[in-house]
Amino acid sequence: MNVNLINTRILTLSIEYYAPRTVEETVSLLSKHSQDAKVLAGGTDLLVKMKQRLTEPRHIINIKKIKALDFVKEEADGLHIGALTKLRTLEKSNVVRNKFPVLCEGVRTIGSVQIRNMATIGGNLCNASPAADSAPPLLALDARARIVGPNGDRVILIKEFFTGPGKTALQPTDFLVEIQIPYLPKGAGTSFIKIARTSMDLAKINIAAMVKLNGNEISACRIALGAVAPTPIRVYKVEELLTGKEFSGEIVNEASQIVAEEIKPITDIRATAAYRKEASKALTHDALMMAYERAKR
Amino acid sequence: MVEGEVEKGFKEADVVVEREYMTNRRYHLQLETKAAVCKPEASGGVTVWTTSQTIHNTRILINEIFGIPISKINIKKLALGGSFGSSIHTNPATLIAVALALKSKRPVKLVYTREEDVHDHVSYQMIFRLKLGAEKDGRLTAGQLEAILDIGAHQIQAYPLLGCVVGWWVSLYKLPNLKYEGKAVYTNKVPSCAFRGYGNPQITWAVETLIDELAEKLGIDPLEFRLRNYVGKGDVFWGQGPTVKSVIRSCGVEDILRRGAELIGWNKRPKPEEQKGRFRRGIGLGRGFHTSSAGASVPSQVVDWGGAMVKLNEDGTVDYVTALMDHGGGTLEAHAKIVAEELGVPLDNVNIIQADTQTTMYDVCTHASRGVYAGGAAALKVTRQAKQKLLEFASKILDAYPHGLRIRPDEKLGQGVIHVEGMPDKQITIREVATKARYKNWGTIAAIDSLRQTSCPPHFTGYFVEVEVDAETGIVRPVRVVAGADIGTVINPDLAMGQIHGGFAMGWSMAVLEDTPYDPKTGDLLNKGFITDYKIPTAEDVPSTEDFKVFFVDTYEPTGPFGAKGIGEGALNPVAGAVANAIYNAIGVRFYELPITPDEILKVLNEKEGQN
Repeated sequence: MNVNLINTRILTLSIEYYAPRTVEETVSLLSKHSQDAKVLAGGTDLLVKMKQRLTEPRHIINIKKIKALDFVKEEADGLHIGALTKLRTLEKSNVVRNKFPVLCEGVRTIGSVQIRNMATIGGNLCNASPAADSAPPLLALDARARIVGPNGDRVILIKEFFTGPGKTALQPTDFLVEIQIPYLPKGAGTSFIKIARTSMDLAKINIAAMVKLNGNEISACRIALGAVAPTPIRVYKVEELLTGKEFSGEIVNEASQIVAEEIKPITDIRATAAYRKEASKALTHDALMMAYERAKR
Repeated sequence: MVEGEVEKGFKEADVVVEREYMTNRRYHLQLETKAAVCKPEASGGVTVWTTSQTIHNTRILINEIFGIPISKINIKKLALGGSFGSSIHTNPATLIAVALALKSKRPVKLVYTREEDVHDHVSYQMIFRLKLGAEKDGRLTAGQLEAILDIGAHQIQAYPLLGCVVGWWVSLYKLPNLKYEGKAVYTNKVPSCAFRGYGNPQITWAVETLIDELAEKLGIDPLEFRLRNYVGKGDVFWGQGPTVKSVIRSCGVEDILRRGAELIGWNKRPKPEEQKGRFRRGIGLGRGFHTSSAGASVPSQVVDWGGAMVKLNEDGTVDYVTALMDHGGGTLEAHAKIVAEELGVPLDNVNIIQADTQTTMYDVCTHASRGVYAGGAAALKVTRQAKQKLLEFASKILDAYPHGLRIRPDEKLGQGVIHVEGMPDKQITIREVATKARYKNWGTIAAIDSLRQTSCPPHFTGYFVEVEVDAETGIVRPVRVVAGADIGTVINPDLAMGQIHGGFAMGWSMAVLEDTPYDPKTGDLLNKGFITDYKIPTAEDVPSTEDFKVFFVDTYEPTGPFGAKGIGEGALNPVAGAVANAIYNAIGVRFYELPITPDEILKVLNEKEGQN
């Protein structure tokens, strides 16, 4: 990008703008303009990219007016969150705080209050930043994504949602409508940790863990990291190692070593790859210890 | 530049330490980006609203460039959201807006985007080779400094800066023999310009780090070492390079260090390298100063003077008119207090006028922490003159001698009351005097004048910082801060304290966070000019007010208004040194390059202690 040729106060693009009020209308608009359309929700990522000319859509489909996609509902199979739910709503939601604290902890580290009042959970996921702070919690919770396209809707696991930096399993005619999170079983504890340059910043590394205990034995475990690979990732090798083992300091240290070996970070302006590998050990240790302490309660 | 015999000095030393230091290239990140509105006037002149630390120098430059008579150029004062030196010079946006307005004969508004602003100005980046020698008893014998300044693509103030760096250096500690060599180098980077401290935070970081190291080698408490060598009362101080010097008349360095040491628990601080766990705490000390104005007894090479007007209105209120810019730190609030104090009126009665170049006297610039010391002294000078006139008028009414009259503020009446001590029937409000003066055709009670300070007293500061280093992530957290300051009489305690909190945040950021690195392949800034990747600490990243103790020591500067000195830059200068020394105290490693990032800390700890 040559910044000298760009004025980020001005959008010089000529754009067709749509504001559908229903999911059906959105699907039909996306089918018509899929090649050069972008879906606008909170706009906290999209507009910045447009002003930097990193993306130059010809059609903007603003879905903010679809009121039916702004909800947090407790259903029999878990918590259902509409894709247009604001991050701030999730952060403040009692059910999220009490039953899925890891999601609240992840979401409240995103941007500022002003940003979280605009940004949506669907947008944070669809932007598919490797550093998205809502991703590791949802991966650790083994959440699902409900996607609507011209051929109806389908549900996929969040772990299958991210396919590359800025890339998701969504087809150009698809859009994300809902997140579903299964309830945590008894004896499960979770944690989220993020390190960054300041308390309001993109992650150098973020991590979420879920540990389920049976006595002192780890009966199930999920561990997910962001900003250490092209997508937010689960570290299955560690999960396999830990499952069925007695929880101990040694096993946590072993897990930390494996995480450092498994991740494939890059060097950017925020941190070096070497740093991310090294610091991921401490973060894995802390995340597992915190999840364990909470599982014991 | 050479003073004494450097080689001989180093020979006399029992310990000599020489190190190379590299500072960071910091962006000012003032709240608003550089901007200008220029309106062409029917007279052929222009009216300009712009981000500026000096409306009069801006006017003079527009006159020199465009040939418009000065009387037809009017620069309006604006409230600024901080500047930190980035508008000491006239910003290019101002001149471009004027050129476009003259050509188009239409008003022009020009506002930089943030990324343009990031490409417009940064601090000077400096490389120092610094060598100090001391005897066993802790007396410094010689110093040698080589400074290389990366000034970027344009020459904004490189020569004065080269002089200032040596001035700050020799004014920290007494060096009987010294040698200085300074070079400024053009590079194809963002142009450098003044940045809060004007080279002082950089050189103070290097000196305070080296002094710590030297004291340790000599087995002397670094605090005692500083007390044995600091430049203080009676010594010559360089306020702005070699041509701006004065003798220090007020100095609270010892009080700052002794009291600060007690408050932080200096004697209980850990020993470097004795800690082995994951979370290691350390306490560091950094001290320094900055000049208050560039005043001197001789004309010198630095312009530093300003004027003001005080005018008493018919209802007893006061109009205070000055060209001096308030960057948001409350400088003019302090002026209002000085005017109110001298005149004996309630503070609310002093009205700071929104002024411009057509209605004000020349004022050089709000720079060199001169706002209160020099600007406030000009306010005091004209207030005294207006007061004299007021007392003469009152003396006629009260049938008393002018010099026998006193004025006291009466908050209930909302007036200054002129009275004769012990004679309650002989008193009158300023409103009554001003009103009578109008009816009797005596004239307006007002004064206008300029002032050049003939001294440049340093204000002194000292920071004790406790940090916690996470040896496994390299993250450093500020735990506690104790900051002491000698700013003479404290005119506005809350805002002075605010300067110290802000100075700490900026210095902390300089020590551990900020830089503008380039992509070596493309030559582009890695952050592309976006502040997404130029972070400064938020309130959550610095200690809360409960863990941040500020104290002012009791001093009086005889040349300052009511004994006051500056604070703005001294609040920043020693911070990076204190932080670096605290990190050393925690982990036993010294860093010679800023910022000291978690990446660097982890790398060095792993090299030292092996992979964990």
